[in-house]
Amino acid sequence: MKRMATGRDAAPASVPNLVFHRLPDAVRDQAEKLGFKDDEMFFGVRGDLDADGSAAEVWTLVAKTRVVSIVVSGARAGAVTGPFELSAIQKARAAQNVGSAFLQLKIDGLYVDMARYSNSHRELFGRVARQIDRQVEGRPLPENALSLPSEMQCVKCGLPLPGRGAECPRCLGGHGIFARTLGLMRPYWVSILLLLTLMVAGVCLDLLPPLLQRTMVDKVLNPPAGTQLLPQHEALRALLLILLGIVGASGGRCLLNIFIGRMTSIIGTRITKELREKLQAKLISLAVDYYNRHSVGSLMSRVLYDVDYFQGFVTQVAQGFLLNVMLVLGIGGMLFYMNWKLALLVLLPVPFVIIGTTFFWRHIYPRYYKVWDSQSKTAQLLSGLLAGIRLVKAFGQEDREQKRFSGAAAYLQDSRRSLETSMATFNPIMGFVFGLGGLIIWYAGGSQVLQAHITLGTLMAFIGYLGMFYGPISALSMFSSWVTGFLSAGQRVFEVLDATVVVTEDPKAVRVPAMQGRIEFQNVTFGYDPYTPVLKNVSLTIEPGQFIGVVGKSGSGKTTLVNLLCRFYDPQEGHILVDGVDVRQMNQQDLHRHMALVLQEPFLFRATIAENIAYGRPDASRLAIMNAARAANAHDFIARRPAAYDTKLGEQGAGLSGGERQRISIARALLCDPKVLILDEATSSVDTESEQEIQKALVKLCKGRTTIAIAHRLSTLKNADHIHVVEDGKIIESGTHEALLTLKGVYHKLVMIQTELTRLEG
Amino acid sequence: MSVPETTLFDDQRLVGMGVRLLTPENANIFEGTFSLLHCAVKDDTLYRGVFAVLMFPIRHTDRFISLRYTDADDKEKEIGIIDELSAFPAEVQRLIRNTLVKHYYEQTLTRIYSVENQFGLLFFDVETQQLGRLQFVMPWRGDRAEDFGTNGKTLLDAFDNRYIIPDIAELPTADRNAFTSYIYW
Ligand SMILES: Nc1ncnc2c1ncn2[C@@H]1O[C@H](COP(=O)(O)OP(=O)(O)O)[C@@H](O)[C@H]1O
Ligand SMILES: [Mg+2]
Repeated sequence: MKRMATGRDAAPASVPNLVFHRLPDAVRDQAEKLGFKDDEMFFGVRGDLDADGSAAEVWTLVAKTRVVSIVVSGARAGAVTGPFELSAIQKARAAQNVGSAFLQLKIDGLYVDMARYSNSHRELFGRVARQIDRQVEGRPLPENALSLPSEMQCVKCGLPLPGRGAECPRCLGGHGIFARTLGLMRPYWVSILLLLTLMVAGVCLDLLPPLLQRTMVDKVLNPPAGTQLLPQHEALRALLLILLGIVGASGGRCLLNIFIGRMTSIIGTRITKELREKLQAKLISLAVDYYNRHSVGSLMSRVLYDVDYFQGFVTQVAQGFLLNVMLVLGIGGMLFYMNWKLALLVLLPVPFVIIGTTFFWRHIYPRYYKVWDSQSKTAQLLSGLLAGIRLVKAFGQEDREQKRFSGAAAYLQDSRRSLETSMATFNPIMGFVFGLGGLIIWYAGGSQVLQAHITLGTLMAFIGYLGMFYGPISALSMFSSWVTGFLSAGQRVFEVLDATVVVTEDPKAVRVPAMQGRIEFQNVTFGYDPYTPVLKNVSLTIEPGQFIGVVGKSGSGKTTLVNLLCRFYDPQEGHILVDGVDVRQMNQQDLHRHMALVLQEPFLFRATIAENIAYGRPDASRLAIMNAARAANAHDFIARRPAAYDTKLGEQGAGLSGGERQRISIARALLCDPKVLILDEATSSVDTESEQEIQKALVKLCKGRTTIAIAHRLSTLKNADHIHVVEDGKIIESGTHEALLTLKGVYHKLVMIQTELTRLEG
Repeated sequence: MSVPETTLFDDQRLVGMGVRLLTPENANIFEGTFSLLHCAVKDDTLYRGVFAVLMFPIRHTDRFISLRYTDADDKEKEIGIIDELSAFPAEVQRLIRNTLVKHYYEQTLTRIYSVENQFGLLFFDVETQQLGRLQFVMPWRGDRAEDFGTNGKTLLDAFDNRYIIPDIAELPTADRNAFTSYIYW
């Protein structure tokens, strides 16, 4: 097995990175001089970089009352940072930089660098920082917290895992793309067996005509000297019979072909349909996080185009690969059976085939990737351009977009041309080489006929078979080109299918048919990047039916709270409970059924207004739809449209103002009759007057529902039972509007600023 | 999207509302407690525990340097921007470069001996400028290899270690082919 990515380590890999309850051997002498003893040691941790980024072994020792760092190797060997008394340390943190990080201790209000480490050691040092923090706070230290198994690497073989805590593909025994594709066909094994039988029969029929031709030449048309000629009328009859036999063989073959073609098409289209459905289901189930990392364009081209290769797989296997292999074997067998010396000559071009194929893999194969890349880049560019078309026009950037698209189109053209020109060179040369094989046989076989070693009929049959022999061989060598296309498409499709859903559903998930709406965050810590927390140790409780306001600057983590509650992401620490059940153990559909979410940037589908409002409740009556719209203060503007509720909306709700879109999405949420209603700056684009009306409606409708309203405009939260002020991922104030005002804290300041603004506006 | 350097658009109305420029005249930068960088700004205050971040790390490694500090609430804040580092005294330049070195850690690849694909992971065997020959493993996914400048790539291995290929065209042909047959985007 290959050496893992920690190839940068200065020290031999056999030295563990963590040592408990004793001094690490590498720094024993120096640490003892500083007064450190084995029995006061808590742990020592090894970093791999010196402060300037050069490779070095640096040990940080954490004792009961002190912390010190000692450089063991590298240019600054012997250098010491500290020791610092724990009582002087305010905090520890892992400060992430670009590509590496520092373990820092806050002393006297300043962060002091203790040790630098490459990202390979990030998980370990993250735990170390938390551990030191615990010690500083005097909280009990769980012994095993540092030595928990890694979530990033397979514990057994060290292979990096495809997702945090995912199964190791190596230890699980990964399947090849071909094996997995064959797996997809398992449900069709009966049809496939039938197909194979038909194909064997077909090959036998293919082998028949040249044999009959040989009989025709040798027995009827041109019997070798010394054999008796058939009488004229018998010869004619024999000729006719043989020809009938040939017609029968090719007729039967024709019928078989029709049948085989139909069957492969039926199986192939079925498999691709199933695969597309699987992909789509997977894409829907994938965590929101996945879409932050992958462009929609590249995902679309996988579902639309790459899947087609799987239909090709069936066709290729049935009519291309397997058939050709059978033909090659069958014909090769016949050739050797008729005359093995001539047959050997037939094999002369084979080395060229091998050279050609190798060349193909080295030089033509990589071009397939480029073609795909250019296709998906063009698709991405186009979909981005069309989605942002109004922005492009507003900024008068049509020309530049035109140029950018030309660039992409040129790249597509280049990659295709490069692929096709090389194919156009490669194919004829291979054809020529095969043609040479035929000429060799004419010469060698012809001289054998002249010397009367074989009959003319045998040579004719030989040449006949030969004509059928190189076809499949060249098809087989072309098959490699198809295989490469298939493999890269297969890789892309399986990459999606294998993507670990970051948020996984517990197989024993609790069903929650009815929800009360009690919500609890318990010491929740979460970061989109696990190493930089966005929410820090957040705890809050919301009683059923409460109307909760959440305020805070943008970027403070309000939407992140909502993302966690809806379980778009899972927290790294702590729990989120709904009705006392951890959302991780709750059936996801149940969780979402009882929650309705109105986002800051509402998403509307390309459908009628009514359909958009009824999205969560397709069974809603017309009246119910209108009631919801009325409550969301959307009814009047909808009514003024010529087609009213039947107005068809464009892409992402084009044709409506921002506020109108928000009101439609509020109506959508209200119609769901949710137990928990979440409004994430849902009325930010609505004018103050309609906001107040919506507010009134909400107060009425929200009775008996838990409502969480995130708002910029604080006036909307006056009636809230409880307001939480979020800053920098922490809840820094909470209470009623009045209580918070008397507190004269951040909330008070925000209110003052906003009243000031209102006065300016007024 | 690249902005051509020659047609810089400089709106004078934004001066004063935008970033604060740090110059040798208004900023005194020196080494203080715990060997940390300190920065005293005229008509402002003394900032301790200062670090530096490049605003255009690919195109400009000696210009547009943001000096930052961690405030009492552990929030990262900007002190100002150094437009031209060369305008500062040599000692200050050295200090700033030293803190920049702490902020960035990446290997520059000069050779790619082999790339192999297994389990959706790419196993790289490479030569690096800084650490010599080493191996790393990178998930075979679009988001792990991003453009670096116009013709280079930044690779992120399974642990988010960074590897830079400044210009793919400058790799030896065999290395480039091995590379582009997997990283083709
Ligand atoms: N998908 C994401 N990936 C990485 N960081 C994110 C993501 N979404 C938000 N963030 C970051 O998390 C922080 C909090 O964001 P958010 O909760 O959306 O703030 P707000 O209070 O404005 O709703 C911000 O610093 C933001 O940059
Ligand atoms: Mg938000």
